[in-house]
Amino acid sequence: MIDPLQTLLIVLSLVIAALATVYVVLDRPTGTLLLGSLGMLEGGLLVQAVIGIGQLAQGDGEGVNGLVFVGYLLGTLVFVPAAAWWALGERSRAGTAALIVVGLVVPVLILRLQQIWTAPGV
Amino acid sequence: MSDQPARTNVGVGRVLILVYAVFALSATGRSLVQLIEKADEAPLAYGLSAFAAVVYIAATFCLAKPGPRTTPIAWIACTVELVGVLVVGALSIAEPSWFPDATVWSDFGSGYGYVPAVLPFLGLAWLFHTTRGERISGTPTPP
Repeated sequence: MIDPLQTLLIVLSLVIAALATVYVVLDRPTGTLLLGSLGMLEGGLLVQAVIGIGQLAQGDGEGVNGLVFVGYLLGTLVFVPAAAWWALGERSRAGTAALIVVGLVVPVLILRLQQIWTAPGV
Repeated sequence: MSDQPARTNVGVGRVLILVYAVFALSATGRSLVQLIEKADEAPLAYGLSAFAAVVYIAATFCLAKPGPRTTPIAWIACTVELVGVLVVGALSIAEPSWFPDATVWSDFGSGYGYVPAVLPFLGLAWLFHTTRGERISGTPTPP
């Protein structure tokens, strides 16, 4: 689909997970660095969704399950802000720990997206 | 004060509920796609997918909004989830022909890194922990 961007997004998510882990270990409140990274991630996911839906609309994905593909694109897009809102709803160590989950779930979703795009029928 | 029987939505609960939400979302998504595209191919597997989705949604919501009515539902949902993943997991290995297409609980949730098999234990442990703390201390700790 759009490999360089998706690889970048996976790396960024893992950085967010690692960063959140450091914050939890040090018991420090989330700062602009983490929030900025989440914002960047969401921006990148938006670009991914636009490009992905565009490619699908042009008929690029031969045999790709469009319903599942678009579902994953939009689901990921909604997941990050919703989960971040829930995680930051409690400014505590546990709230930050929830951001680790966000950083770990997003790469899985992107990998699934690539699977759906490259191996139709999976 | 007793309108909050268990403080399931704070602290570690925050992380747990997020994981439950992820499964509520993915089980719902999978179930919708299966029902829209091929409802009549494997009614048992797809019915189970839909059932699992409802269980996850109930658990997520009731853990996130503890109350005299929701917390008992959270107990039920987590228990059903535990039974579901164990029974469906075992059956999907013993009688694979019954499950031509995967559900969240197939093979003890191997498609999801076995998280579905661990999650109900964590959910029940967390419910047990929060309700017991409540009974001992009598008054909930302020948020």
